[in-house]
Amino acid sequence: MARGLVKDYKRTRAVDGIDIDVLKGERVGLLGPNGAGKTTTLMMLLGAISPEQGSIEICGHRLPGGRSEAMQRVGFSAGYMPLAERLKVSEFLRMYGELYGVVDVEARIETGLERFRILQLSEAMGTQLSSGQRTLVGIVKATLHRPRLLVLDEPTASLDPDVALRVRTGLRDLCQSEGTALLITSHNMVEIERLCERVIFLSRGRVIANDAPRAIASQFESDDLEGVFLHLAQIGADQPERAERRAQETDHSA
Amino acid sequence: MNAVQENNPRKLSWMRIRSIARRHYYVMLRSPHRLFDVTIWPLVDVVLFGSIGAFIAGNESAGAQAFGYLLGGVVLWHIIYQAQIAVSTGFLEETWSRNLLNIMITPVKEWEYVAGTALFGLVKLILGTGLVAVTALLLFSFDVTELGLGLIPIGAILLTVGWLIALFVIGFVLRFGSGAEALAWGIMFVVMPLSGVFYPVDALPDVIRPLALVLPTTYAFDAMRTLLDGEGLDWGTIGIATASTLVLTVAALMFLVKMLRTFRARGFISRYS
Repeated sequence: MARGLVKDYKRTRAVDGIDIDVLKGERVGLLGPNGAGKTTTLMMLLGAISPEQGSIEICGHRLPGGRSEAMQRVGFSAGYMPLAERLKVSEFLRMYGELYGVVDVEARIETGLERFRILQLSEAMGTQLSSGQRTLVGIVKATLHRPRLLVLDEPTASLDPDVALRVRTGLRDLCQSEGTALLITSHNMVEIERLCERVIFLSRGRVIANDAPRAIASQFESDDLEGVFLHLAQIGADQPERAERRAQETDHSA
Repeated sequence: MNAVQENNPRKLSWMRIRSIARRHYYVMLRSPHRLFDVTIWPLVDVVLFGSIGAFIAGNESAGAQAFGYLLGGVVLWHIIYQAQIAVSTGFLEETWSRNLLNIMITPVKEWEYVAGTALFGLVKLILGTGLVAVTALLLFSFDVTELGLGLIPIGAILLTVGWLIALFVIGFVLRFGSGAEALAWGIMFVVMPLSGVFYPVDALPDVIRPLALVLPTTYAFDAMRTLLDGEGLDWGTIGIATASTLVLTVAALMFLVKMLRTFRARGFISRYS
C-alpha cells in the first residue's frame, strides 16, 4: 500500500522510508512513542500530507492523482477530532454520508449508530456530546460508506473502559461482517493486543518491528507490547544510535 | 525583601498593566496583518473619502450624479462583497470548527467544495443584495432595476470577481493559517476604493490610478455609471472587464493550486487537527 515514505519538516525527518501493507480484513496496529511518525504516516496515507519520497496506493488508486477515488474506500476518525459545530449528529452524519456517495444514507446512519449503541444521540447537537460519545459518532461517520480500509488515530484516548470496550467490540464486528481492514494507532497497548492481528512498531520515523503482537513481544524478550514499548522508548531516549541500528537491522531483514 | 510586589487592593499595578501591553506587542510583532489596523485601513479611508470629495469638488454636475453613483455603487458592491464573503467564510467555518481534516479526507474534490460553498453563497447573495436594493428603493426611491438588462453582464462580472477574490483568500489562509483570516473582510475594503465604486477612477490620486486600471471591477462600476447617466451599456468597457476577469481567473486558480500543494507539502493540516 505504501512504499518508501519519507517526510521532512524543516530540519527533522519525521518519516524515514516506511513501507506499510494492510491486507483485506486485516487489523493492524501502528505503534510507537510520541514523535515516532505515526500521525504523519496516517496523514500521508489519507492524502492530507504529501510525502517527499515514496508512493501510496489504496485499492488500486495511486495518490495524489487518484485521491478522490481512493478516499471513497477509506474511512478515518481520530479521538482528537471534534464534530462540526452547529450540526446535529444526524445532520453531521448525513453530510458525510453524501460526501462519500452513500445512497441509502438514512439506513446506514441508523445501522452505524446501532452498532455502537448510540442511536439515542441521533438528534443531539454535536457540542452536547461527551468526548466518548463524540468518538463513537466519529467512528460511525468513518464507516458509513462501508470503507475497505478504516484508519483510526487514537480512537479510544480519554475513553472510559466500558466505552473503549464498546468501540473494540464494534470494530471487530465491523471488520468481520464487512471485511474492512483496520489500521489503528493507540497508546493503549492492551487494546492493540486485543484488537490487532499484526503490529507495526515505529521509532524515529522508521519501522523497527512488524509482526503479530505475541511474536513481537517474544522477539524483544518481553511479556507484552507494553514491555516492548517501554524498552524501545528507553533505547530511543538513552541510546539513539542503538535505536538507529535496530531500525537498519529491521530494514535489512524485511 | 519580598520576592513579589505587594498587592495593594486600592492601587493599580503598573507591572501588570505593562505585562498585558507587552503581551499584545508580542502578538502584533509576530502577526503583521494586525498592523493593518494602523496602516492599511487608515489609508483606505483617506483614499475612499478623499476620492469622493475630489469627484464632487471637481465636477459641476457631480452633485446630481453623486446620488445615483453612491446608491448604485452600494447595491452592486453587495454582489461582489456577498459572493466573496460567503465563499471565504464558508471555508473559514471549516477551520474554526476544526473540520478541515474531516473534509479533506473525503472524496470531495477541491472544486466541488468551492462550488458547494458558492452555491449556498448565491442564496446569501440574493438575500443580502436584495435587502440593500429594497432598502434603497423604500428609503431613497432609488430603483436599481431601472438600469435594465445591462445589470446582467455587470452583475455577472462582479459575482465572478467576488468568487475569485475568495479563492485568493482561501489560498492565503491555507498558506499562512488563521493570521490571514482578516483578509476575508479586509481585502474588500482595499478593492472598494480602487475600483471606483462610488466615483469615476479619474477622482483617484494619480499614483494609485494604475492599480485601479488592472481591476475588472473598475470597468464594471464604470459601466454602471454609464447606465446611470442614460448612455446605455458600454460594451467596450464590458469587454475589458471580461478580459481582465479571465486573467484574474487564471491567476486565482494557479494561486490556489500552488497554495494547496504547499499546504500538503508542509503538513499545515496539523494547524487544524
